Amino acid sequence: MTEKKMKFSISEEKRQILLVEDDIINREMLKESIGNAYELIVAETGEEALRIVRERFETLSIVLLDLNLPGIKGIEVLRRIKSDPAYAGLPVIVMTSDSEAEVECLTLGAIDFIPKPYPPSEVILARILRTVELYEDKNTIRWTERDHLTGLYNKEFFYHYADQLDLYHKDVPTDAIVVDINHFHTVNDRYGKAYGDKVLKCIAGNALRLINEAGGVVCRCEPDMFLFYCPHRSDYEEMLNQLSIVPKGGDSGENHVRLRMGVYSDVDKTLYVDRRFDRAKLAADSVKGNLANPIGFYDNSMHDAEVMEEQLIDDFPTAIKEKQFVVFYQPKFDVRGDTPVLCSAEALARWKHPKLGMVSPGVFIPLFEKNGLIQTLDRCVWSEAAAQIRDWKERFGVSVPISVNVSRVDLYDPKLIDKLLDMTEKNGLKPDELLLEITESAYTENAGMIVENVKQLRKLGFKIEMDDFGSGYSSLSMLSALPIDALKLDMQFIRSAFRERKDTRLLEAMINLSHSFDVPTIAEGVESAEQVSVLKAMGCDIVQGYYFSRPVPANEFEKFVAEKKEISACS
Amino acid sequence: MLTIEKLAEYGADVEKGLSRCANNEALYLRLVGLCIGELSSCALGDALKNRDLDKAFEIAHKLKGGVSNLALTPIAIPICELTERLRNQSPGDHESLYNEIVKERAALSALLA
Repeated sequence: MTEKKMKFSISEEKRQILLVEDDIINREMLKESIGNAYELIVAETGEEALRIVRERFETLSIVLLDLNLPGIKGIEVLRRIKSDPAYAGLPVIVMTSDSEAEVECLTLGAIDFIPKPYPPSEVILARILRTVELYEDKNTIRWTERDHLTGLYNKEFFYHYADQLDLYHKDVPTDAIVVDINHFHTVNDRYGKAYGDKVLKCIAGNALRLINEAGGVVCRCEPDMFLFYCPHRSDYEEMLNQLSIVPKGGDSGENHVRLRMGVYSDVDKTLYVDRRFDRAKLAADSVKGNLANPIGFYDNSMHDAEVMEEQLIDDFPTAIKEKQFVVFYQPKFDVRGDTPVLCSAEALARWKHPKLGMVSPGVFIPLFEKNGLIQTLDRCVWSEAAAQIRDWKERFGVSVPISVNVSRVDLYDPKLIDKLLDMTEKNGLKPDELLLEITESAYTENAGMIVENVKQLRKLGFKIEMDDFGSGYSSLSMLSALPIDALKLDMQFIRSAFRERKDTRLLEAMINLSHSFDVPTIAEGVESAEQVSVLKAMGCDIVQGYYFSRPVPANEFEKFVAEKKEISACS
Repeated sequence: MLTIEKLAEYGADVEKGLSRCANNEALYLRLVGLCIGELSSCALGDALKNRDLDKAFEIAHKLKGGVSNLALTPIAIPICELTERLRNQSPGDHESLYNEIVKERAALSALLA
């Protein structure tokens, strides 16, 4: 070992021992026996011993305690050390000639005895060394198996203990439960980290009480997530209520901490423990944001969906390679004139899965948005759409701009602009022939950066359509600041406006507002002639929906291109 | 002058006593010297004479620790017996035990010469 390392090494550091002994002969003997191996701190009275423990317990390795002390007796010193949680873990070796005192000392928490008269020096040394090693090993295990803030197990040890429980209670129905704190980071932000820590400790305390009553194990596995593995129960609501008792934050005196719970009830013990908790987590996530019903239960449909998702993720690379994703096109008609005129199309991905058949985009799009695969899919669709615009231009002599979806994750790609330019250039297109649909929600997160990127795209000539407007949270006043060329009203928004008790006032207000900013509106999901005429009367510019056509493959779409060619030729 | 040989002759189990001092002869002899000093200056006789048995126990118990650890067997035996009697508050002949202690103390002190 190098000299530097010797100087800054825990293993080479002399351990400190507190020797509590009033008799000089005994003291001197012990100093000679162990003084070379350990740094001895001497106390001659009980009072002095307690003071040193209070001040230096963190660096003390062991206490050698004589029972017969002047003032506070040794047994009382032992009792006080063991009753204070701060240093109760400090090992105390009692030195006595009184064998009757041994039981009491052991009950109070003494770890060992050194009899009087003393055994030979080397025996004392060996006993102390062994005790220090055990204490340090125990401490190391305690530190590695526990979460430092709450004192609960960490995930690895928790899984290990859950396995142990299974071993001894094979036939006992058991639940895997995940408890999550909703928006915990905002609790920290609003009331400070100290309050956040207090909340976590309090929930941990509540959890331990529950486990002490009902059995099982509990851990904190993420900053704001607790796992329970306990005998099957049915009072989950009561459990959640008990866990939710935490100190109030802020001046309002209200409890702002909301928990949600995911239950995988009566688990399948043939599954690995971590898989059981994946299921409970899935159940917890199913009620995310649902304050009215914060307890989710894992069931077979979740399992089926999970299996399906895993299969789709596994199959994705092959699907890209084998071109299983097909681009469909849905026309958009300009309805401002007497006759609707095709003005563009929206490119929509469809997955022709060799085993599952046609997979709904409602299934794979959210999944790929979640895991980032959407970026690869988007690239394929853009490339296909750009090639299609060129093909129609070449064969029909007319340009039909196509809008493609640009996902939020695409907007974080520093090479996005280069890639789009490359695609348009390669196909001999002007940037305004490839329309970019960006969802409203993409603007709400990291708005500054997104807005800057979008401005850059517009400067280069790309046209931006804000997709799903009305489904997100952006305020109408934001419209003036956003760089967009068209506003696409959310399909659900249109549908609810035309539902039984037709109330189109809000729709009309939005179209008017959009016009006041000189931004044309596009209504999607339009299904009937009546809807078209109402929207037209309100001033809506462009309409897309089943009324004109469902999304169709490129060859079927060509009839619209041919019509457009004819109209162009006539005019 | 106190020597290991003299102590062995006196009847001390010097091997045991030394083993408790990590075989440091100088320390052992120094501690025996200290112990003889304590034996001479202690107020055990007065406490017994005044029938202050709690005080007598306290002193005897303290002396017992030193003489036992130093393995001064001839004096350790009566001190241990007296300590136990006082601890158990047993009636009996404390005086004859004390006289034995005084006799052994004198023998030990003589070793210092």
